[in-house]
Amino acid sequence: MAVLFITALLAATIRLGMAIGLAAIGEAASERSGIFNIGIEGVMLSGAFVAAWGSVRTGSPWFGVLFATLIGILLAGVHAFMVLVLRINQFVSGIGMVIFGLGFSSFAARLTIGAKPTSVHGLASLDFGAISHIPIVGSVLFGQSPLAYIALVLAIGTGWVINRTAFGLEIRACGENSEVAETLAIPVKRRQTACILFGGAAAGLGGAYLSVVQVDAFVENMVAGRGFLAVACVMLGRRKPVIALLAALGFGLAEAIQIRMQTIYPDLPYQFLVILPYVAAIAALVLGHSRRRFSPI
Amino acid sequence: MSEGMTRVIRVTIVLVVAALVPSLFVLMAGHNPWRVLETLLLYALGPQGWSEVLVHAIPLTLIGLGVAFALRGGLFNIGSDGQLIAGAVLAVFFAPYLEGWGIAGLLVFLILGSLGGAALGALVGYLRAWFGASEIIVTIMLNYVMVQMISYLIRGPMQETSRFWPQSYLIPENCFLPVIVQGTRLHAGLFVALIMVIVFAVIQRRTVIGFVSSVLGANPGAAVYAGFRVKMLTVIVMAISGGLAGLAGAVEVGGIYQRLQDNMAEGFGLAGIAIALIARLEAVAIPLAACLFGIFFAGTGALQRELALPFPLVWIIESAVIFAVAAVQWALPNRKAVA
Amino acid sequence: MTPLLEARGLNKCFGQLRANDDVSFSIFPGEIVGVVGENGAGKSTLVKMLGGALVPDSGEILISGSPVILHSPADAQRAGISLVHQHFNLIENLTVEENLVLGRPELRHGIIRFKNLRPGFLTVAEDLGTHIAFDARVSTLSVGGRQQVELIRALFHDPRLLILDEPTAVLPPNERDRLLRFIRLLKERGTAIILISHKLDDLYDCCDRAVVMRGGRVVGTSDLRADERAELIRLIVGAELPPPDTRHGTLGKALVSVKDLVVHRDNGTVAVDRASFELHAGEIVGLCGVEGNGQTELLQAMAGMRPVQTGEIIYAVGAQRMANADAASLRRVGVAHIPEDRLHYAVVAAFSLTLNFLLRKLSKPRFVTWGLLRRQAATKATATAIKHNDVRASGPRARMADLSGGNQQKFVIARELGDDVGVILAGHPTRGLDIRTVVAIRNRLVAERARGVAILLLSADLSEVWDIADRIMVMARGRLRGPVRVGETTLGEIGHWMTTP
Repeated sequence: MAVLFITALLAATIRLGMAIGLAAIGEAASERSGIFNIGIEGVMLSGAFVAAWGSVRTGSPWFGVLFATLIGILLAGVHAFMVLVLRINQFVSGIGMVIFGLGFSSFAARLTIGAKPTSVHGLASLDFGAISHIPIVGSVLFGQSPLAYIALVLAIGTGWVINRTAFGLEIRACGENSEVAETLAIPVKRRQTACILFGGAAAGLGGAYLSVVQVDAFVENMVAGRGFLAVACVMLGRRKPVIALLAALGFGLAEAIQIRMQTIYPDLPYQFLVILPYVAAIAALVLGHSRRRFSPI
Repeated sequence: MSEGMTRVIRVTIVLVVAALVPSLFVLMAGHNPWRVLETLLLYALGPQGWSEVLVHAIPLTLIGLGVAFALRGGLFNIGSDGQLIAGAVLAVFFAPYLEGWGIAGLLVFLILGSLGGAALGALVGYLRAWFGASEIIVTIMLNYVMVQMISYLIRGPMQETSRFWPQSYLIPENCFLPVIVQGTRLHAGLFVALIMVIVFAVIQRRTVIGFVSSVLGANPGAAVYAGFRVKMLTVIVMAISGGLAGLAGAVEVGGIYQRLQDNMAEGFGLAGIAIALIARLEAVAIPLAACLFGIFFAGTGALQRELALPFPLVWIIESAVIFAVAAVQWALPNRKAVA
Repeated sequence: MTPLLEARGLNKCFGQLRANDDVSFSIFPGEIVGVVGENGAGKSTLVKMLGGALVPDSGEILISGSPVILHSPADAQRAGISLVHQHFNLIENLTVEENLVLGRPELRHGIIRFKNLRPGFLTVAEDLGTHIAFDARVSTLSVGGRQQVELIRALFHDPRLLILDEPTAVLPPNERDRLLRFIRLLKERGTAIILISHKLDDLYDCCDRAVVMRGGRVVGTSDLRADERAELIRLIVGAELPPPDTRHGTLGKALVSVKDLVVHRDNGTVAVDRASFELHAGEIVGLCGVEGNGQTELLQAMAGMRPVQTGEIIYAVGAQRMANADAASLRRVGVAHIPEDRLHYAVVAAFSLTLNFLLRKLSKPRFVTWGLLRRQAATKATATAIKHNDVRASGPRARMADLSGGNQQKFVIARELGDDVGVILAGHPTRGLDIRTVVAIRNRLVAERARGVAILLLSADLSEVWDIADRIMVMARGRLRGPVRVGETTLGEIGHWMTTP
């Protein structure tokens, strides 16, 4: 009984944390190069809608995922243009992106798929055959959606590129001290743009995960703050993609616990449980603080 | 090409692009953007609309003032929605005790609203100053928390007496903000908002607290050198910012809803940021920007009725405005000193 | 023989400012040429053009007789020119080898295998006589160590011409000697070296000849004969400077007592390790040391900008006696502070001069009543301060950012000093400023001393300290040595103290 509970809990942790995790991986790369994109909430919303719409229109969720990635890149491109070319404050641009995502996803949804309830073809979980039947480990690690495995590969790969390649070294230089990087003839804006676009693609993927894997539907405002949780994950993970992913799984765990507790303690007002991930984010930021005097945010 | 010419061209480009984006969506929905503009303006300047524009401009002004004050201090307060709820909750909680206090009761009601929002703001400031916790993230998290809190309260401890509807009990009549124009919803909250504009215009230009908080935002190192207590200042700035949002909450309850319910703060916080930016953080310009957004908020009802355009178009317009305003600052770099 | 590098008629303007005006000179292989001039003479601009960081508006650069156009530092490197900047282009949080790779664009490809690159770096390092841990973070290195990293980077591909911009500015005496010995070694190998400096001693100790710049132009050359020294100074400085004030004060009672002071850095490490000393009325005490050894933190703690971990700072100014006070209270009792880092602490660049003036005057009833600012009074006072202190600005409404560095510093000093001041904490008050402003500021400090003010002067310029200070103390690794009377010690001893904790 306990085994089943834990298994289900762990599987749910991964399933519920992956959307945040995908966005966090991309944002980690972006922040590593020195640029924040707090607008990934809006990118995720747009990605979630586009993925659902794409899945409905083409009948294949993979097209939805593709479209979501593309819209993520497009929106991130706007952010990159605003911040790097027009030199707009990156937080202002991010907030604008959040608002746009809210508007675009809801507006378009009401005019297309949201007008009447439509089922979205979801992404099937991968079937690894015999391995999936191993107790605990099997269903937790091998019963997840393909996007989850993509996330894992992405996290490790991004970390590797950042730490082991010249490209990654240049990115780190941009993020640590962009003026010096400029004098060292590093094309700072190009590197930052690459990271921002990658971040957008990942956020789009994260949004797609929500509508095409986690819920198999599009609901207005379904991202519900996960984009900001992703930014918090990057802070907690000190901009390292793999650690940020782990932090995201932490939020996944909070969400999984919260859901289960609603059934275990039906008398407890559900609102107090729903706030668990948000309170956890605040607590994590407070506990994980490093001593920096004048931080940018 | 003269410098003046380049500026004009740049501003024009920005305005055109900014107008294009929402127009694109309107077109995709199958409508003519000019019709949208026409509908909005006719409604806003027409007999039914103008009062609704002002009704929406009231909380937007208060919140805009709060966001602008925090931004001057270098702090991004995205949590006005949550602070508005906190203020409304605190005011409504104590409202029954204010019955029979007359106008004094109304004043206490409004003050309680400010205190509720200020408490939440102070918490955010404290976490930022002592723990370096990003106020952007914390305020947004608290927004979600407060939405859940009010949801619980109006279905539980503060629910109205028949225990059927998800809303709180009614506040006593002396806490109502009376309607000032017969036949409309326009209430005395308008005076509250205008008073606050004047107060904050004075604070900005002529008071020590206004000066000190703008130094904090412009160069935190200079604040340390000058001996300002930076940590306390952060808490105070966030408290004042939150207090204005909380006041907006009390005003909305006193003037419009007369009770607590879900969805009282439908995205005012984010709009407040756009308003603060358009007004370039100047208190005097905020009510004008708030009226602009009042047109959008109030007008979407008309858009929905006459053109079947969904409400979220407002968000698209809002984001275009934010980017346009920020880009205009690129087009018109501020050469003059802040004096 | 054709010169290795020849510059002909180089011009460069920044807006109204003519940074380089028809600059020409040449250098042959194996020569060490010093380019000397005061701050603001145009040396840095010239260096940046030779190093490819700036493109001249007009004029030519010839390498071995053929004209070249240097669009970027990479172009300069390809032409055999290596440049070591005054402010190091190092990224603190990355390791030495990561910085070395970043500094050589040709190495920045694909996957970086540091193991393969290390032998190459090691050879150059051994040549220099350095031992550096390649996997150490730059933030852990001393200033001299960081310069070594820059030198390794510069020498990696055997440049024909090495340009050093103010290399001795931050070095203690013994490390400076080591650097100069190395420069002479390079000369023997045939490398040409351009040494930029504003210090005469650098020229006389290792250069073959000198080119003098003033106001953006080359005003003369010198073969650096010993008897030419005075003439050289006149060339560098130009017209007569106001005579230096040499009055002394009468030593009074101790106005500041520091006892067993411990101060931490932002990252928690100990910056000041149990420092104790006293500051008396009517004296100037110089605080010297290699950058990063705790002097900055000591001054910040004394000014109330940084918390005291343990120990005491007691101010006995006027009738008051205060211990470990905060910045605002200190100014109220007459402790003035001129911060080291003007842009980060002393001024708000975007604000007008009036608002900057108010920054430190909020406790004065003349400018603030009942929490309200009295702007007219402030504007008038600002206008007066500008006029009496020779601050070149269009008026009190001018933007601080529009003033030159020297005028900004004059403003800061005008704002900070006054009749009510009993103690002055001055952090590098003359650093990077033109000679005229430097003399004015030094004279001001001496005048204050004559009035009976106690002055703590943090300075990296030992000759400045020797000129005006009465006593001198040195910080090394957070430990304080001294104060000793200037007459009772030597430059050698001070240099030794700077490098041995």
